[in-house]
Amino acid sequence: MIELTSLPIDHAAVTERVRSERAGAVCTFLGTVRELTSLRHTLYLDYEAYPEMAKKKMAELEEEARRRWPLIELAMVHRLGHLDLGEVSVVVAVSCPHRHDAFDACRWLIDTLKEVVPIWKKETWADGTEEWVHPGLGPA
Amino acid sequence: MIAAVVPAAGKSERMGQPKLLLKLDGQTLLARVVSALRAGGVRRVIVVTPPAEKPESAALAAAAEQAGAEIIVPPTQPAEMRTSVELAIERLARDLPPRHIVLTPADSPGITADLVARLLEAADCFRTHIVVPSCGARRGHPVVLPWPAVVQVSALPQGMGVNALLHRLKDQVLELHVSSSEIAGDIDTPEDLSCWKNTLGAGARYTVRLFALAKERAGRSEIEIELPPAARVGDLRAVLGVRVPALGALMQSALIAVDEEYAGDDVPLSPGSRIAVIPPVSGGAGIHLFERTATPLEYSP
Repeated sequence: MIELTSLPIDHAAVTERVRSERAGAVCTFLGTVRELTSLRHTLYLDYEAYPEMAKKKMAELEEEARRRWPLIELAMVHRLGHLDLGEVSVVVAVSCPHRHDAFDACRWLIDTLKEVVPIWKKETWADGTEEWVHPGLGPA
Repeated sequence: MIAAVVPAAGKSERMGQPKLLLKLDGQTLLARVVSALRAGGVRRVIVVTPPAEKPESAALAAAAEQAGAEIIVPPTQPAEMRTSVELAIERLARDLPPRHIVLTPADSPGITADLVARLLEAADCFRTHIVVPSCGARRGHPVVLPWPAVVQVSALPQGMGVNALLHRLKDQVLELHVSSSEIAGDIDTPEDLSCWKNTLGAGARYTVRLFALAKERAGRSEIEIELPPAARVGDLRAVLGVRVPALGALMQSALIAVDEEYAGDDVPLSPGSRIAVIPPVSGGAGIHLFERTATPLEYSP
């Protein structure tokens, strides 16, 4: 299950979707909106995607993860638009027969998703300034 | 200040009519070249027309002036192209001389504003060099010369053309590699012209989607851009950076996606390609993973 949504994510429901009688392990990762980055306070975030390509890249990630690990079910859901502090921005949930594979697959999926899937976030800081978070480019 | 010199006093014996007044895409050849020079960043364009007694002189002057050029009407027919160039240099030397001059024949329909801008950018980086566009072993127009090289034209021995200067100063010549379609062929025969009409017809407009920082800097989410025939991703990257200066710095680090795939600079574009500018993606220290490649991405653990 791969989804981009502008609505709050029901992460418990996403976890429930990947549970299976064939699995001995379910691993769910949640990305959530953090207030503090170093000493700066975040007010809120805005996520933007290139939706067609993001979905295609996420599908490729699923295919690659299934090739590497004995995944039973997999779900990746990314939130777009305005997010307040503490809200869930991304959910990656996997089920596998054993826990090591579930941990490894989940970690690889979230790490690689952040690197190759065209989804961007804009920080709005408490001092009112805005910044696209683009590693390597410096502040906008 | 950058000035351009466009010698346009030549006879068009092989065309059977004044070739510089022929129209390509609704514009005379002369006006096309003047417009491309001005749009590419040249402040002052000097066109040397045939002497006033020639029937085409007035029409050429009008076409050039309308496109934004200054005119020199020589008292007698210049013996060769070099004579026209020297007339223009004399005019320029009377005022504060330009830092560089851009030299091009008027019958070079391949010259575009983007090509001119890229040559000037190179000349700005390498200020003592002569910048020449090239593709493989072929050199093209226009040539950008620093003023100290320009003033040496009049010292060339009688009968030698401006090309001799490039040979004489060959250690100073910097070749800027461009796509083959930008190496402007001259138009000497009616066949050349119809050939150019076909080539231009194959150029295409593209819609490029912009996201995140690129969208914000450009102030819009889409941009229409025209590229020469057989354009590749690298051409698009260069043209976008020049056409939308706000994207200039970003175009160095942004990736380009074609049909929802990250695409290297050598990937060819075709009309209908779905193109997007992908600034580095948010999240981890992932930037090191990006390289411009034409092959499908390999994931490393």
